[in-house]
Amino acid sequence: MAVKNIDIQNLKQKNMKRHMQRKEPEPLVNVKSGVSKFFLYLPLVIWALITLYPFWYMLVLATRGPAEIFRMPPPVWFSKALLSNYEVLLDRLPFWRNLWNSFYIAAMASLLSMFFCSLGGFGFAMYKFKGRNLLFNFMIATLMIPPLLGIVPYFIMMSYFGWVNTPRALYLPGAAGAYGIYLLRQYILSAVPPDLMDAARIDGCTEFAIYYRVVLPIIKPGVGALGLISFIGSWNNFMTALVILKQRVTYTLPVALRSFQGAAQTHYGAIMVGATIAVFPLLIIFAFMSKQIISGLTLGALKG
Amino acid sequence: MEKLEAGQIKINPFRRWQKKAAPYIFISPFYIAFLIFGAFPIVFALYLSFNTWTGVAGTAIEFVGWENYYYTLTDPMFWDALKTTILIGVYSGVPQHILALFFAFILNLGFVKVKEFWKATIFMPYITSAVAIALVFSVFYSHPNGFLNYIFVLLNNIPGLSSLLSWIGLDPPVNWLANTAWMRPAVSFTVVWMFTGWNTILYLAGMQAISHELYEAARVDGARWPQIFFRITLPCLKPMIQFAVIMTVIGQMQLFDQPLILFGVHGGTGRAGYTIAMFLYQTAFNWNFFGSAASIAYVTFMFILIITLITKRLLRSHEEVD
Amino acid sequence: MKKMLLLLSLALLVVLASYGGAAEKVTLPIAVFPDLDGAYEQCLPLFNSEYPDIEVIINSLGIDDHHAHIVTTIAAGTGAEDVVAVEIAYIAQFVAEGGLVDLAQAPYNATDYSHSITPYALKQATTTDGRLVAMPVDIAPACGFYRRDVFAENNIDINDIKTLEDLFAAGEIITKDTTGDGRNDHWLLADAASIYDMIIHSAPELYFDEDGNCQVNSDRFREAFTWAKRFHDAGLAGAIGAWSQEWFAGFQEGTVAYEPCGAWLGGHLEGWMAPETSGKWGVAPWPALHEGEEPMAGFWGGSYLAIPEQSQNKDAAWKFIEFIATNRDSQITAFKATNAFPSWMPAWDDPMFEEELEFFAGQKARLLWTDIAKAVPGVVTYKYDAIANSIIAAELGMVLHEDKDIDRALSDAQRQIERRIR
Repeated sequence: MAVKNIDIQNLKQKNMKRHMQRKEPEPLVNVKSGVSKFFLYLPLVIWALITLYPFWYMLVLATRGPAEIFRMPPPVWFSKALLSNYEVLLDRLPFWRNLWNSFYIAAMASLLSMFFCSLGGFGFAMYKFKGRNLLFNFMIATLMIPPLLGIVPYFIMMSYFGWVNTPRALYLPGAAGAYGIYLLRQYILSAVPPDLMDAARIDGCTEFAIYYRVVLPIIKPGVGALGLISFIGSWNNFMTALVILKQRVTYTLPVALRSFQGAAQTHYGAIMVGATIAVFPLLIIFAFMSKQIISGLTLGALKG
Repeated sequence: MEKLEAGQIKINPFRRWQKKAAPYIFISPFYIAFLIFGAFPIVFALYLSFNTWTGVAGTAIEFVGWENYYYTLTDPMFWDALKTTILIGVYSGVPQHILALFFAFILNLGFVKVKEFWKATIFMPYITSAVAIALVFSVFYSHPNGFLNYIFVLLNNIPGLSSLLSWIGLDPPVNWLANTAWMRPAVSFTVVWMFTGWNTILYLAGMQAISHELYEAARVDGARWPQIFFRITLPCLKPMIQFAVIMTVIGQMQLFDQPLILFGVHGGTGRAGYTIAMFLYQTAFNWNFFGSAASIAYVTFMFILIITLITKRLLRSHEEVD
Repeated sequence: MKKMLLLLSLALLVVLASYGGAAEKVTLPIAVFPDLDGAYEQCLPLFNSEYPDIEVIINSLGIDDHHAHIVTTIAAGTGAEDVVAVEIAYIAQFVAEGGLVDLAQAPYNATDYSHSITPYALKQATTTDGRLVAMPVDIAPACGFYRRDVFAENNIDINDIKTLEDLFAAGEIITKDTTGDGRNDHWLLADAASIYDMIIHSAPELYFDEDGNCQVNSDRFREAFTWAKRFHDAGLAGAIGAWSQEWFAGFQEGTVAYEPCGAWLGGHLEGWMAPETSGKWGVAPWPALHEGEEPMAGFWGGSYLAIPEQSQNKDAAWKFIEFIATNRDSQITAFKATNAFPSWMPAWDDPMFEEELEFFAGQKARLLWTDIAKAVPGVVTYKYDAIANSIIAAELGMVLHEDKDIDRALSDAQRQIERRIR
C-alpha cells in the first residue's frame, strides 16, 4: 500500500511557504519619540520585574537557613545554606522519587493525550457523520463542568477500582480530554485540506493509516503543543493528587511540598529548595519551547 | 489491499464500512473515558447529594431527599464561603484582565523589540506550580519580617508617604496573611501574578487578528488613541474577552491551591480565606459528610452556570446577538 | 548412627525453622503527626530489640492533613497504614464511624490493661457498646508556661496568681509598649483565645453533654468568651497565631510571657522552638476560674493509636501499639523525647519524674504535670467535636476581632452545630 508521497511533500511545502510568508505585521504606530517609547516600555518592564521576582526570591531563600529567612532585614542575596537545606529536604522526603513520580505521571498524561486527542480531533475534523455536531457540542459543554463537582465520586471510584495511591488514577482519567480534542480539531481544520483524505483513500489507505501516516505528520506542531500543555497541567496538579496519593513515596511534587509544610517544624530553607526543584524543570522546558506552547494554547482560543 | 490502476476507483464494502465506522471509533476514547471518569462521577455525585454517607466503605447510604440542599442553602458557612470566593474572584479577576488588555495593547503596537522575550516572560508564571509559588509568597508576606513588610516599613519612614499609607489603611508592618482586611487582597495578588500573562497572550493573539485597515481608517478620520482603543480594539476583541473572562470565572470559583497553602485548611483568621472549594474539601474529607459535600458541589455548579450565563450576556458581541 | 542422623536432622530443622522465621521481616508503616514522629523514632531501638523482625516506617503529616489522610483512606478501604495515630479532637469521630479494629476483642484484649491506663483517656476511645477502637498512648495535662525573667522584672510572683482576675491584673502590668511607637510589643499572651481554651478544656463536658446535646450556649461558654474578649480588648494578647513564625519569635524573645498549653509544648520549646531560652521558663497550674475554687485543670491534646480494619498486618500492628502504650520504657522514652505525657499510669512513679528540669530552672515540672493529670475531670467527647470546634472557633474569632455580640455568637454557634448534626 503505497501512499503517494508526492502529495504529502507538496502539501508540506505549501504549508512551509504559508508559514514563512506570515511576516510580522507592520507596526501599528511608528513611535518616534523616545519619551513615549519609554513610557510605553515602563509598564512592561515593571510587570516583568514583578513576574520574575518570586523566582529570584525562591532561589535566594533556598540558599538561606530557616532562621535567616525570617530575620530582619530579610535576605536579598544568596548565602551558603543550600547544601544543608538540601540535606534536610532529602532527610524528610524521598524528594527525587517525588520528582520522578511527577515526571512519570506528567509524561504518561502527555503521551496519552497526544495520541487520543489527535485521534479524536481527527475524527471530528475530517469526517461527516451522524450526530457529529451534537456530540461535539456536548463534549465542549463538559468543559464547563467544574472539576470540583466530581472530586468526591472520583475518589470513591478510584477506591472501588483499587487505584487509590496509584499513578494511573492521575493520568488515565484525563487521557482523552475535551480541551485537547477541541484544540487539535481546530488545528487540523486549519492545516489539513479535506481533499487529502480522499487522495489517500484512493491510494489504498485504511482510515487509521490516513490518520497515522498522512495527517499526524502535518499536525505535529499542534500535537507537540498539546503534549507540552498536558505535561505542564499534570505536573502542577494539586487537589486531585492530594486526594489520591497517600504515601510519601508516591507523592508528586506539589503534594510532597504540602506535606512538608504541615509539620510543626517547617523548615523553610528546605521547602524553598523543594519548590525550586518543582518549578525550574518546567521553566527550562518553557524557555526552549515558549513559542510552541504559547501558540498552541492560543490557537484553540482564537478559532473558538 | 488491491493495487488499483490509474483511473479505477474501486471501493470494497469493507472499506466503505471502515470509512463510516472510523470517526466513531476515533472519537470513542474520549467518550469512553468521559463516561467512566467524567459522566459517572457527575451522576454519582448527584445521587450522593440526595443521601447521607460517611464515606466509610461498608456503611449505609441513607436517602434524605432534598435535605442536603436545604441545609446547604441555609448554611451560613456556605454563604460565607461563597461570598469569600466571589470577592477573591473579583479582586483577582478584574486586575488580571485590565492589566492583560493593557499589556497586550502595548505589545501589539508593534514597536516593541524582541516581542517573544516579553511574551515568554509575562507568560512564565502560568506554568508554575501554584503550591510552590504560594509557599514563596507565604514567606514574602510574612509578618513582621517578610520582604513586603520590609519594603513598607522603609516606605513608612519617608514622612510624606507614611500619611499616604495610613490613608489607604496600611499600618506597616501588616499581617497580610492573618489580618482579615488584607488576607483576600493578598491571595488575590498571587492569582493576578499567575494569570495576567496568560490573559495577555490571549488578548494579544486576538488583537493581532484585527485588520490594520480598521486602524488606518480610524486614524485617517482623526481618531485619537483612547478612542481607537475603546471603539475599535475592544469591540473586535469581545469574543476573546468573553472566552477569557468565562475561563477566569470558572477557575476562580474553584480556587483551592493558593488559599490552602497560605491560610491552612480552616481559611485563616475569621475564615477570610475560606473558599467554596476548601469548604467542600473539609466537609467531605475532614468531616465525612459526603452527601452534603455533593450538594455543595451542585449548588456551586449552579452558581458557576448562572454567573457564566450573565457574563456571556454582558459580553456578547454583535454577531451573537442575532 | 541413626540417632546421630536424627539429631542432626532435628538440629537442621531447628536451624531452618529459626532461619525461616527470622527471614520473615514485616514492614509496618505507621501514620502519625508531629511530634509523635520524633517520639517514636526514639522508641524504635527499644522496640526492635524486642521485635527485631518488624521494620517500622514512620509517615508523618501535619495534624490537619494527617487526619484528612486517615479519614479518606479509611473511607476508601485502602491506602491506610497499619497503625494510625488519632488525636483527641478526632477520636470521637472514629469511635462513631468505625473502620478501626476493636482492640477489646481477642487476640488483642487491650482491656486487660484498663487498670493501668488513665481512665478518661480510655473512656474516650470506647464506644457505647463497649468496643475499644484505639489505644491511648499519651495524654496532655495542661499548664501555664511562663517566663520567669519577665515575671521577675515586673515583680510578679506566679504563686500570687490564683484566679483569672489575678492573671488579668498581671497581664496589665506585663503588657507594655517599650519602643514608644504606640503599639504594645510585650504581651502577656500570644492569643486571647488561649483564655477561652483554658476554661473550656478544664470542663468535664466539651461541646456536647452525655446525651449528645450541644451545649455551647451555656454559662461556661459564655464565661469563656467573655473572659477571652476582656483579655483581648485590654490588649493583653499579641494577636499572634499559634505555630507561626511570630509565635516562635515571641518565645525566643520573651515578648510573650505566658502560654497555657499541653505539657508537650515544653518538649517543642526545648527541642527547637527556643532552646536558647533554657532556664528562663517555669510551669504553673492554671488559675482558678472563680475566687475560692480549685485551679482549672485541663487537657490540651492526647494521642491514640489504632489499627484500621483494612490492615493486613494486624498482628504486628498490635505488637507496636501494645509496646508503645503499655511498655514502661517506651512510655518514658517518648516522654523524655517530646514531653508526650504517659497515659500508662505505672510509669508515673519513675524516678525521672522527680528530676529537676534545667529548662525550667530546676523545677520538678513532671511532678506538677502528674498532679494536673490526676485532677483533670473525665471528658465527654462526641463524634461531632471536630465540626463543633470549627464552628465555635469561627464565632470566637468574630467576637474577638469583629466585636460580635457574645450572646448572639453563642446562639449562632449552637444553632449551626445543631443543624449540622441533625
